[in-house]
Amino acid sequence: MAIEQSVLRDQIRAFIQELASTKGITSFTDQESLLENGVIDSLGIFRVVSFLEDTFRVRVGDMEINGENLKNVETIEQLVLSKQPK
Amino acid sequence: MDFSWSEEQAAFRKEVTRFAKEELQDDVIRRDREEEFSWDLWHKCAKFGIQGLPVPPEYGGAGADILTTVGALEALGYGCRDNGFLFSLNAHMWTTEIPLMTFGTEEQKRRYLPKLISGEWVGLHAMTEPMSGSDAYSLRSRAERRGDRYVINGSKTFITNTQNASLFVIFANVDPSKGANGITAFLAEKGTPGLIIGQKLHKMGLRTSPMSELAMVDCEVPVENVLGGEGRGQAIFTSSMEWERTCILASHLGMMQRLLETSVKYAHDRRQFGQPIGKFSAIANKVADMEVRLETGRLLLYKAAWLKSQGGHALRAASMAKLYISEACIQSCLDAIQIQGGYGYMTEYEVERDLRDAISGKIYSGTSEIQRVIIAGFQGL
Repeated sequence: MAIEQSVLRDQIRAFIQELASTKGITSFTDQESLLENGVIDSLGIFRVVSFLEDTFRVRVGDMEINGENLKNVETIEQLVLSKQPK
Repeated sequence: MDFSWSEEQAAFRKEVTRFAKEELQDDVIRRDREEEFSWDLWHKCAKFGIQGLPVPPEYGGAGADILTTVGALEALGYGCRDNGFLFSLNAHMWTTEIPLMTFGTEEQKRRYLPKLISGEWVGLHAMTEPMSGSDAYSLRSRAERRGDRYVINGSKTFITNTQNASLFVIFANVDPSKGANGITAFLAEKGTPGLIIGQKLHKMGLRTSPMSELAMVDCEVPVENVLGGEGRGQAIFTSSMEWERTCILASHLGMMQRLLETSVKYAHDRRQFGQPIGKFSAIANKVADMEVRLETGRLLLYKAAWLKSQGGHALRAASMAKLYISEACIQSCLDAIQIQGGYGYMTEYEVERDLRDAISGKIYSGTSEIQRVIIAGFQGL
């Protein structure tokens, strides 16, 4: 079943907020580069991938784990949406 | 849930054990002393098909699933006493073949995989640098594009297989302003101008596996030798590490099985105070602990391999398997030495070499400390 887009983004943002809080970062925008701004680190990327796989029942291929797909909340959302049934 | 091997997998494990016991036996005590790699074992393994196990048939491999492959590596660890050789073999498979399979272009795969499978070539990957170990993405090696080539400059250390390798996967940053997103992997062949193999490094264990420093001085590689595309180095490295952490310690499980069996036999045969020493609970308890560690390690490693076989990511499970088995194996080596007393401490009995070899398991492919950071990180810490 397809997930409603706004719910999807809220869930992604909430998870990344949780990661960011461990680094003392309290706010970030949906367009902000998460890696470059230190919101998530190299381990955080894989926590995000595990979260996406577990929560949205999608598979993220090794080739898809890159700076473009995981750049910010918006691109992560797009990655998940691209894997949802049309 | 099914904990059994298929008939085919069980038969293959048995065949690998036979192969290792019959054909991978040589004067490893001397080679360990003299720090000598065995090309003979390398070619025998290639002929048997070990290097090609995970590689698809279209490139000359067997296309075996990951559980069959780790089962084979476990059997090798049981039958072959040269842990250093098996370490070289694992480095070749998980950090050269797998990245090529996963991220390589069709041309790169067709060019390199057959040679890596046939035993003609040995592969390596070069990530660690003098100033970047656990913090791998802080590497300082740089690559600059000039026309149809990249020019790489930098230095690497603790690089496995260096003296024997024909294919090098080298990580360098093409744009430090992008941080880890600038890290890129390059394929370089032995003999590439500016690719300089440094001094051989001498080690406590894994002495039959060559290791040295590596320098890139205006080392030029063509643009078609970029692996996975510019800026994909981080993904390639992490993918390699996930594979390696899942699979590399399968051989340790085989070693732990061998240590258990030799310890049980010694506990039966060695008599003190009128009875086999295994009748003393101090000895029997050690044997029991060795078996529990072995079975626990198997469950963790098989689970990580199973997760990968389902197409998912296994970073967390792989870290748990790697952390547990590396530390459990050291304890089982210590127990085996203690059970065998003075004999266990002697080089001739070969357990002291197993211990020296096992200690590095807590360091390579991410230290135990890093594995704990990863596991705790998944708990939100």
